Amino acid sequence: MCVSPALFSFPGVCLLHSVRPVSFAPRSLSLSSSRSPRMAGWDLSVTVEDLGPDAPPVTLSVTSDLHVGGVILRLVEKTQIKRDWSDHAIWWEQKQRWLLRTSWTLEKYGIHADARLLYMPQHKPLKLGLPNGITLRLHACFSSPVFQTLMGICRMLNIRHPEELSLLRPLEEKKKKKDKDSAEEIYDLTEVPRSSGTLITLHSLSRPDMHTYEEWLSRPCLYNGMPAHFADSPKMEAIYKMLSVTQPPPAPEVVAKQYRPASVVDKAHINGRWLDSSRCLIQQGIRENDRLWLRFKYFAFYDIEPKYDVVRLTQLYEQARWSILLEDIDCTEEEMMLFGALQYHISKVSQSEPKLLSSSAAMDDLESALQSLEVKMDGESSSASEMLHVTICFRPKKLTLKGYKQYWFKFQDTSISYYKSKEESIGEPIQQINLRGCEVAPDVNMAAQKFLIRLLIPAPEGMNEVYLRCENEQQYAQWMAACRLASKGKSLADSSFQSEIKSIHSFLAMQRTNPSSHGNTPANDESINTHSLVSPRYHKKYKTKQLTPRILDAYQNVAQLSLTDALTRFLQIWQALPDFGLSYITFLTNRFKGSRKDEVLGIAPNRLIRIDLGVGDVVKTWRYNNMKQWNVNWDIRQMAIEFEGNVNIAFSCVTADCKIVHEFIGGYIFMSTRSREKSDTLNEELFHKLTGGHEAL
Amino acid sequence: MTVVVFLVLFLLSSISRGRYPSGGADVHESCNLTRRSEDFEISEKMDDIDAMFSDLLGEMDLLTQSLEQETAAPTSLPTTTTTTTNNNKEVNFSIFTDLNESLHELEDTDLDALMADLVADLNATEEKLAAEIQGLKVPSPPPPDLPPPPKGLSAHHPASPASPAGSTGSNVSTPASSSASSPLPPPPPQSTKPTKEEIEAQMKADKIKLALEKLKEAKVKKLVVKVLLNDGSSKTLMVDERQNVREVLDNLFEKTHCDCNVDWSLCETNPELQLERAFEDHENLVEPLLAWTRDSENKILFKERGEKYEVFKNPQTFYLWKKDNKALKAIKDKDKEILIKENFCGTSAIVPDLEAVLHLKEDGKKSWRQRLFQLRASGIYYVPKGKTKSSRDLVCFLQFDNVNVYYGKDFKGKYKAPTDFCFLLKHPQIQKDSQYIKYLCCDDACTMNLWVTGIRIAKYGASLYENFKTAEKRAAVSSVWTNRSAPSCSNPSTPSPTIKAKSPSHANGHAQKPQPGPTSTDVGGVPPPPPPPPPPPLPSTSTFPPSPPEPVFAPPPPPLAAKSSPKPAFPQQHPPPNFPLPPPPAMDFPPPPPLPPIADHSEAPPDFLPPPPPSFGSLSPLPPLPGKSLPPPPPPCFRRMDQSLPPPPPDPGFLPPPPPQPMFTGAGAPPPPPPPPPPPPPAPTAAPSAAVRPSGSVRKMPPPPPKRTTPTLPAGGGGGGGGEGGGGDFMSELMKAMQKKRSVP
Repeated sequence: MCVSPALFSFPGVCLLHSVRPVSFAPRSLSLSSSRSPRMAGWDLSVTVEDLGPDAPPVTLSVTSDLHVGGVILRLVEKTQIKRDWSDHAIWWEQKQRWLLRTSWTLEKYGIHADARLLYMPQHKPLKLGLPNGITLRLHACFSSPVFQTLMGICRMLNIRHPEELSLLRPLEEKKKKKDKDSAEEIYDLTEVPRSSGTLITLHSLSRPDMHTYEEWLSRPCLYNGMPAHFADSPKMEAIYKMLSVTQPPPAPEVVAKQYRPASVVDKAHINGRWLDSSRCLIQQGIRENDRLWLRFKYFAFYDIEPKYDVVRLTQLYEQARWSILLEDIDCTEEEMMLFGALQYHISKVSQSEPKLLSSSAAMDDLESALQSLEVKMDGESSSASEMLHVTICFRPKKLTLKGYKQYWFKFQDTSISYYKSKEESIGEPIQQINLRGCEVAPDVNMAAQKFLIRLLIPAPEGMNEVYLRCENEQQYAQWMAACRLASKGKSLADSSFQSEIKSIHSFLAMQRTNPSSHGNTPANDESINTHSLVSPRYHKKYKTKQLTPRILDAYQNVAQLSLTDALTRFLQIWQALPDFGLSYITFLTNRFKGSRKDEVLGIAPNRLIRIDLGVGDVVKTWRYNNMKQWNVNWDIRQMAIEFEGNVNIAFSCVTADCKIVHEFIGGYIFMSTRSREKSDTLNEELFHKLTGGHEAL
Repeated sequence: MTVVVFLVLFLLSSISRGRYPSGGADVHESCNLTRRSEDFEISEKMDDIDAMFSDLLGEMDLLTQSLEQETAAPTSLPTTTTTTTNNNKEVNFSIFTDLNESLHELEDTDLDALMADLVADLNATEEKLAAEIQGLKVPSPPPPDLPPPPKGLSAHHPASPASPAGSTGSNVSTPASSSASSPLPPPPPQSTKPTKEEIEAQMKADKIKLALEKLKEAKVKKLVVKVLLNDGSSKTLMVDERQNVREVLDNLFEKTHCDCNVDWSLCETNPELQLERAFEDHENLVEPLLAWTRDSENKILFKERGEKYEVFKNPQTFYLWKKDNKALKAIKDKDKEILIKENFCGTSAIVPDLEAVLHLKEDGKKSWRQRLFQLRASGIYYVPKGKTKSSRDLVCFLQFDNVNVYYGKDFKGKYKAPTDFCFLLKHPQIQKDSQYIKYLCCDDACTMNLWVTGIRIAKYGASLYENFKTAEKRAAVSSVWTNRSAPSCSNPSTPSPTIKAKSPSHANGHAQKPQPGPTSTDVGGVPPPPPPPPPPPLPSTSTFPPSPPEPVFAPPPPPLAAKSSPKPAFPQQHPPPNFPLPPPPAMDFPPPPPLPPIADHSEAPPDFLPPPPPSFGSLSPLPPLPGKSLPPPPPPCFRRMDQSLPPPPPDPGFLPPPPPQPMFTGAGAPPPPPPPPPPPPPAPTAAPSAAVRPSGSVRKMPPPPPKRTTPTLPAGGGGGGGGEGGGGDFMSELMKAMQKKRSVP
C-alpha cells in the first residue's frame, strides 16, 4: 500500500573504496496513506499474546493522534495484569512491522481500524544450533534487525566479532524417521537475565562499541574465565564448557547420516538459507521456538586472540571440522589425514588440559631445562638418556627380504648404534646412525604382533632405508618415541619423551580395540574410532587398521602442540585449502538473451569466481579491489557488477535471493575495512549501508 | 707452530682450489667452506699440496700435544685433538721437532701479541664470568702455542673445536659434535648442580639460567666459511650455529660495502648436482653447511638474486599468474599492497594455486614424463591419468617437511631435460645423485620461478615476508648511511673494482689490505700483530683462540702467501705455534685487515672480524720469517698465487690498504699474495708442514684449529663464562711459557 515495489527498484549502488549508502528508497512510508485524520475516536483491537492464544483481542477506543506509547499504556491498564511489560511491543501483522517508535502517532504509522496488531514480547526463545552441533535455547530479539539480534546472541555466548557470523535456516530434516526417539539434549540459556545478554541489543544502537575488548574486559564479565552469567550455577558452567571445549569426535555413523552436499550446486543451495541481516526475525517468518543455525558466514576471521576468543575459536574449529567431515570443502587424502590427526590430538588434549591457561611460562622453561639437565647429569648410563635393547634390524630396502638380523642396539642422544652382541657393546659399534632429520614411519600390525619402525635416513648419497623390528609393544613405543624425538634433534632426555610414548601407546590401543568396536561403540576418550576423524568417503576406502597408521603418521608432526596451537594449526590448514572461503550461488547470466545455463558464482573474501558447471573449473576470477560498483535491481532481482577496465557482469541469482548475494559482497567489503585502528568499534552503520540495500534506510 | 703451518697449508690449498676450479664452471663465484676435505680434493695439480696439507694437519695435532708437554701449559687442547693424532705420532715426530724450532724463533713476538690479546680479553670477560663457571675451568693450552690457548678457550665451547675441524675439511659435522659433546657435558653438571638445589630462590634461578645459557653457548658450533663474491673474490667469515643468514648477510654488507639491497643472498651451489639455492634469511647457516660432505665442492656465493623477494615486489605475477601479462603490468601499487596483505598478513600465508604441466624425471631413468601438477599448501600433487582435478583425486607427489627446493643448472646437458628450466627437491643432506631427488622441468623460466617461489611460500610461509621486511629496512638504513658516509666508505668499497682485476692484481690488493693493519705493527716486527689484535680482542676473550678459527679461514690467505713466497721454506722455519695462528687470521682476515684500520673497531665484533686482525698481527711476525725463506718460496708462491688469485680479489675490496703494502710486505704481506716477501713466512710454515705431512697421514685432523674458532665466539658471549676458570690458568701458563721461551733464546 504505502510503497510499491517499483519504488524500490532503484539499483543499489556502491562504490568500493568510498562507500556510499546503497540506496534511495523513499523513507516515510506513512506519507502515502490517507492524510485526513478524523479526530473522532475509533476502535483499535490489539491481541495480547500473554492472555493466551484463545483470548479475544483487547479493544481500545483511540483517535488517530494517539501515540503508540499511549496505546500501550491503555492496553496494559485494560489487561489488568501486573508484570514487567518493558520488553513488549506492538507488531503490525499485515505490514509486517514493529511499532517501536512509541512517540509516533497512529496516524503517522498509518494505522486504521482494520489493522491487526499483536502485543507481545520482543525477546522470544529460539533454538539455536551451534557449529559444534549442540542446540541451545535462548532468548533472541525478534524486533531488531538480525544483525543486532546476532550481536546480542554473540554477546551472551561470549563470541567476539559477531559480524562474521550469521543465522542460517536449517535444512529441513526428513521427518520420516524416528523423529522422537532421539530427544536431543538442549542446553537452556533462557534463564539468563536479558540484561547480561540479549537485552543489550536494544542498547547497542547507542553503544555500538559494546563488543570491544575494552568493553568486555572493563565490564566485570569474566569470572573464572567465563562471563558472569555463566558463573552463576553449575548448570550454566556446564553450558559454558560445552561452548568453549571442543566436542569429542562424532561416531562415524553420525557423520555418515548427515547431509553431505554432493556437488557445487548442492553447496550453493545452502547459501540460499541465510537470513537477511537487515530485517528482523519475525519478518522473515521465524517464530518462537523455531530452530536456526548459528554459523560463521564470512570467512575473514579478524584478530583471533586465543585469550579472549575461547568460544569463538572453539566454534570456528567445530565449523571447520564439520566442513571437512562432511566434505563441504574438498581436500586431498594427505590433508585429510592431517586433519584427522589434529582432531585426534585436539580431542585428547582438550579432555586432559585444564581450561585455564596459566602459570608462568618462564618458570616452566627453567624447570624443564633443569629437568633435562638433571637427566643428563644422572649419568650417561641412565636409562632415560640411553636405551639398550636387543632389536632386530633389517637393512636397506624392503625388497631384499633377507630377513632380520639380530643386533644389540643402543640409543644415545640422537643416534643409534648397534653391536653384534651385548658383550661387544663396550667397544666400537658396527655402525652408528644419527637420526637427526630422518623420516620415521610406523609399520605396525597389532594382530600379527608386527612392530616395525621404518627409518629413512638422509645421507649424502640419498636416503638409507632401515627397518627396526621391535619385539613387543612396550619396546616399540619406546623406540618409536626415541626415533621421533631424535629426528627432530631432541634427545631422550627431552621432557616430551614420556608423553610421546604415551601417545604411541594410545594409538596402538586404538588399533587394538577398533576391530571389536567397529559397531556403534560411542567414542570415548580412550579409544577413538579413527573413522570418526575422516569423512565418510574414507570409511569405505580404508579399514580402520589401514587408516590408523596413516593418521598416526601425520600425528607425529602435531603431537606436541598445545591445544590452542593445535586449533590454530587446524584452522590454518583449513584456510590454506584452495576452496576455502568460497560460498557458492547458482546464477543465470544472459537471462534475456536466451541462453539459459546455470552457472555457479563463488564468493570468497577477496574475489568472485565463476565456475563452469560442466568442467568444474574456475572460468573467471574478479577481485573486489578491481570492482568499481555493484548494483542491484530489486525489481527484477538482478545484480550488475562493474569492474575496472569496463568489465561488466549482470546476472540473476537462482539458488539465493539477490539480497543474499548483495549482502555477501557488501559484507566482505565491510570485513576488509576493519583494521587495527578502528577495530575496537563495530561500525554497524557501515555494515548496513553495505549490506542492507534499500531496507537499510 | 703447528697451527701456523696448518693455516698456511690451508690457505694454499684453498687458494689453489679456488683457482683451479675457476677453470671450471663455478669457479669464479664459488665460495668454499674451507675444509680439509676440500683441500685434499684439490685438483690433480694440487694433489701434492693436499697430501702435504693433510700430513700437516695430523702433525699439528701431535705438535700441539708435544708443545703442551714441553711448555707445561698444555692440557685442554690435546683432549679434543688427541684422537686424531695418535696414529701419526711416530711418523711425524721428526717433523715435529722442526716445527718446534721454528716456533722458538718466532715465539717471543707472537707471545707478546698473544699476551696482549689475552689480557684484553680477560679484562673484558672477567666481569661476565660467573662464579658458577669456575668449576668448569678448562685446562689451558700450552701458552706458547696459540693453538692450545684457543683450545683451552674452546674447551668451554666444545663447538669451537668442531668448527675448526669443519673448516679444516674433515666432516664438519662429526668433529664438531664429538668435540662438543665430550668437553661440554662435564662442565654443565658442575656448574648447574649446586644451583639446582636452591631453585626456590629467584636469585638462584637467575643464576641457573645464566649458567644454562652459558652451557648452551659452550655447545655452539662454529664454522669458518669462505664466501665467494661476484667478482671472483672471497670473504672469509666465522659463523656460529645460532647465526641466521640475515646476520651473516649483514656482516657481509659491512665487509663488502655493497649497496645492501634486498636482493643480496647467500647461495649454496653443489657442482656435482649442478644445483643452486639461495638460503632464506631466517635459516641458520651452519646447519646446511654441516650437511656438506668432506670432499664437497660446494660453494657459498654472495650475490644479488632478483627472484629472492620478487613475490613481494610483484605479487601479481605469482598470485594472478593466470591473467594476461598486460593486465599484470597495469597493476597498481595499491593493488600489489592488497595482494601482499591478503596473502601474507592473514593467519597463515596463502600459497599461490599453481597448476602446470611439468616434466618429471623418472626415477633412475633418463626419460622425462609429463604430468599435470598442482601446488597446494600441503605439498605438490599431480592429477593421475584419467582422473579429474578435484582435490580428492589428486595424488600426493611430495610434501615439503623434509625437502628444500633448488634451481638446477644445465640439466639439459646433464639429464637430457626438455629445457634448462629445472628445479629439484631434495633432503638437504643429500649431496649426490639419488633416487630420492625429484627433478622437475618447466617449459619456461617464468614457470620455474613461479613454482620455486610457490614452493618456498608453502614451505616458509609468512617468515618470507618477515625476512623481506627486515631486508627492506636494512636496505633503507644502509642507503641513507651510504649517502652520508659515502666518502669514508669509498675506500673500503674500492676493493670491488680492484677485485675485478684478475688474480695477480688482486693478490696485490689482498696483501695490501692486510698490510694496513699490520703496517703499524710491522714496524715493530712481530709485535705489530698486536695492533690487529685489538680488534680481535673483543671477539676473542680468548684472544688467540679467535685466531684459531681464523686458521680455518686462513686457508685461503695462506695459499696466497704460500704461493707467493716459498711455502716450503718458510713453513719449517716459522715457529709453528705462534705463526700458525697469526697466519690463519691473516688469511681469513686479509679482507678484514683492510677494514681493521678503519672499521676494525666497529666491524670486528659482529663478524668475528676480530680474529682477522689478530691474524694480521700474527702475520706481521711471519713476514720476517718469510723474508728469510723468501727465495725458495717465491717460485711456488707464484704458481699458487695464480691459483690462489681468487682470494686476492676479496682483498681488492680493501685496496685502500695497498698503501700500507710496503709495510706489509714486511709483516702482513705474507697473507696476501702480493707481498711475496711476506708470504714467505706463512709459506715456510706451510711448506714444512706440507712436507711433513706427506710422511704423516693425510687425514690428520686439525682439531686445534677448531678449538680456536670457538675462542672468537666465546669472547662474544657465554664463552666468557667458561673462559674465567680456564682464563686464569691459561694466562699463567702463557706467562710461564713466555718466560721459558725467552730464557731459552
